Amino acid sequence: MPVIEVDELSKTFKVPVREQGLRASVRSLVRRETREVTAVDAVSFTIEPGEVVGFLGPNGAGKTTTLKMLSGLLHPTGGKCSVLGLEPKGRPAELLQQITLVMGNRNQLQWDLPALDSFELNRAIYRIPRADFVERRDELIELLDIGELVTKPIRNLSLGERMKMEIAGALLHQPKVLFLDEPTIGLDITMQRRIRSFVADYNERHGATVILTSHYMADVQALCKRVIVIHHGRVVFDGDLSALSDRFTTQRTITARLADGEEITIRSLREETASATSKLLADYDVVDLTIEDPPIDDVIEQVFADAHEAQ
Amino acid sequence: MITLYTANARIAVQTQIQYRAANYFYMIGMIAEPVVYLVVWSTIANANGGSIDGLTAKDFAAYYIVWTLVRNMNIVLTPFAWEERIKDGTFSGQLMKPVHPIHEDLAQFMGWKLVVLVLWIPLAIVLALLFKPSLSPTMLQCAVFFFAIWGAYFIRAIMQWSLGLITFWTTRVGAIFEAYYLSELLLSGRVFPLVLTPHWFQTLTWFFPFRWCFSFPIVALTGPIENRDLFIGLGMQLAWILFSIGLLAIVWPRAVRRFSSVGG
Amino acid sequence: MAARGATLQLGGRLTVSRSAHRPGSVRLTATFMRVGIMNEMQYRINFFLQLLQSLLNVGTALIVLAVVFSKTNDLDGWTRPQLLAVMGVFTLVGGIIRTFIQPNMERTVNEVREGKLDFALTKPADAQLLISIRDVRFWQLTDVLVGLVVLTVALVQLESITQWQDLLAFVVLLFSGLISIYCFWLMLASASFWLVRINEVQELFDGLFRAGQYPVGIYPGWLRYGLTFVVPLAFAITVPSEAVTGQLAWQSVVVMIGFTAVLLVLSRWCWKRGLRRYGGASA
Repeated sequence: MPVIEVDELSKTFKVPVREQGLRASVRSLVRRETREVTAVDAVSFTIEPGEVVGFLGPNGAGKTTTLKMLSGLLHPTGGKCSVLGLEPKGRPAELLQQITLVMGNRNQLQWDLPALDSFELNRAIYRIPRADFVERRDELIELLDIGELVTKPIRNLSLGERMKMEIAGALLHQPKVLFLDEPTIGLDITMQRRIRSFVADYNERHGATVILTSHYMADVQALCKRVIVIHHGRVVFDGDLSALSDRFTTQRTITARLADGEEITIRSLREETASATSKLLADYDVVDLTIEDPPIDDVIEQVFADAHEAQ
Repeated sequence: MITLYTANARIAVQTQIQYRAANYFYMIGMIAEPVVYLVVWSTIANANGGSIDGLTAKDFAAYYIVWTLVRNMNIVLTPFAWEERIKDGTFSGQLMKPVHPIHEDLAQFMGWKLVVLVLWIPLAIVLALLFKPSLSPTMLQCAVFFFAIWGAYFIRAIMQWSLGLITFWTTRVGAIFEAYYLSELLLSGRVFPLVLTPHWFQTLTWFFPFRWCFSFPIVALTGPIENRDLFIGLGMQLAWILFSIGLLAIVWPRAVRRFSSVGG
Repeated sequence: MAARGATLQLGGRLTVSRSAHRPGSVRLTATFMRVGIMNEMQYRINFFLQLLQSLLNVGTALIVLAVVFSKTNDLDGWTRPQLLAVMGVFTLVGGIIRTFIQPNMERTVNEVREGKLDFALTKPADAQLLISIRDVRFWQLTDVLVGLVVLTVALVQLESITQWQDLLAFVVLLFSGLISIYCFWLMLASASFWLVRINEVQELFDGLFRAGQYPVGIYPGWLRYGLTFVVPLAFAITVPSEAVTGQLAWQSVVVMIGFTAVLLVLSRWCWKRGLRRYGGASA
């Protein structure tokens, strides 16, 4: 029984057209000209319980818009979607009790007060029984390692610490579906890693379904087996991350370090990797050898480029 | 629901205690308004042989000092706050919660008032010493006053919350809100006691919620007022609260629909 | 400052053109004004919204005055047209303060608090001048327009004909009064070098300013002194109103000019002290 079902989901916006010049602005007072922008174009996919899925795509691709439709913040203009068997559009309380949306760089906790106070507020909002609340709260504090920070006012915390608080606050009601919108944006590498490992850990422990949008490849690589690539509002790829690599790369990179300290890098076609490697080993005094797929960023670039051409 | 309100109120109290200095400065600045009116009307009364329309300088002092309490009690979320909320994502966050966002605002402002009440007392004492008001309410008046200030709060809170929702349709809301505030200024008893105005004007004020947010609570305590009018006043407050809730029930779903189709 | 230094070194025989290194204050002010106005001109719709707001505000104040007039013919010796004149001057002065003075002072206070005042300090012009002229909230001038209209109506309604001397005195005293308000604001802004909570004190000013709607004489003694010498509303509003309605006493003028001069010196001193403290504190 899939947890999320999306069928030909679309979202178009009417955007006002504004031109330069006095005459145009006078004209615009009388008649508002708009043009239609398609943010999401007939997107379809299903997600099973417990999956951790990454939405990848450049800025403006439609990832956040899709996420907002799944969480009920935006109404689709075409197609339909359901989360946990319910339609997000009406914002049914039953659904809101079981999902959570965390947006990177956005604060939902009380600014001047320690996180603990905000947590109490969430307990009241989600009607969490006290015993469950205490247990979950303490577990989250431990997993996120925020024990010393929960008593400090949010405004005194660093960006990364704030993010951890947001996540903790968002999980107190033990939602079955987590929507994470750019959760690691603006954070330093260590913090990014910690949050990623937490999400993976949480998914393992509680079997929560996680939808994550990001434009950091590292997020997706670390967490998601499955990746949905969105570009210009369309699904360009939906499948295993490793398959993404396989499908879109025709090259491998071979890096060899020689005895005299020099480094040689060769790019070879996938089929020819084996022969290229053996030639390298034969002709040179190789001390260390690495064979890699091109960086996944390049792969994604390729995916987008292909998609663009296909349009 | 009660836990929701107490939790929110507690948050507000904790936050506002931190901002007590800011609160104080705001309150002192706000006192300038009634003091100006107080002095103007007292001057006129004194020059006119002691009273105008039955109100002496001491009566005016009472009116405007009670005014400061009523005014603090009826401060609510400004409709102007909505633009910021939509822009910085706060509103989206509120929509994700399984409770109606108005409860958070209602409860937090209520909590704030508890702090304000405590801060107000020394100010009131100073004002009383300076202007020597005449105040001798009955027990019934005090009781009605207590309910009336909360009635005033709810009318204004729900009404202005609904008004603020206009922001979802246009950002050029400044003029509309200003017009609302100015009508309130004139029709509420905020600037001049309504008893000073001609009869037709006083009748006019019955058609608006404003007098029930200012004039009624103030006069409930200072008098002169008949017992009968005390209860009529409470009844009118209830009526206006129901009206505001009705207004909210009509506007809110449309506002959410608008937000969800346009994306804020 | 570089120019001055150079002149000293050269023993004064070579005159270094001042304008090459340091634009004259007048030209600097004019430049900032022009840029500020050009900026605001982009938002033409603001003009109508602001005008509407000014009209609504004045309209309300006039209705209140009407209620006052319905009960009495004079307030503390001020007749109806005279009170109307005060209302006009109040609106006019408020407009000027909100256009030229307040935006600059508020911005300065914010910059001091955030440690971003350096822009003003690293330019070769006097810091006080710079922070006083860089912001113009042009559309608040609608209040000036509306205030002038009200004032004109009031003067027409006066029993006596306004003499040109009265108008001249009015302009001079208005200018002087505005200077004293500027000095007051400057001292308030300077206080931000020592106190963090100055923002709220500014809100206090906005509240207190309302008291200027009526002639300061109606207020009880202690308040009257406060509104004359602490927050110089009397000088900014009441005294010019006295001038334009022909009620001016020469004693008021002397006190006012004298006090304004004192304020000018005092406020500049506060500002300089504050700057020195700022320079020491920020990294």
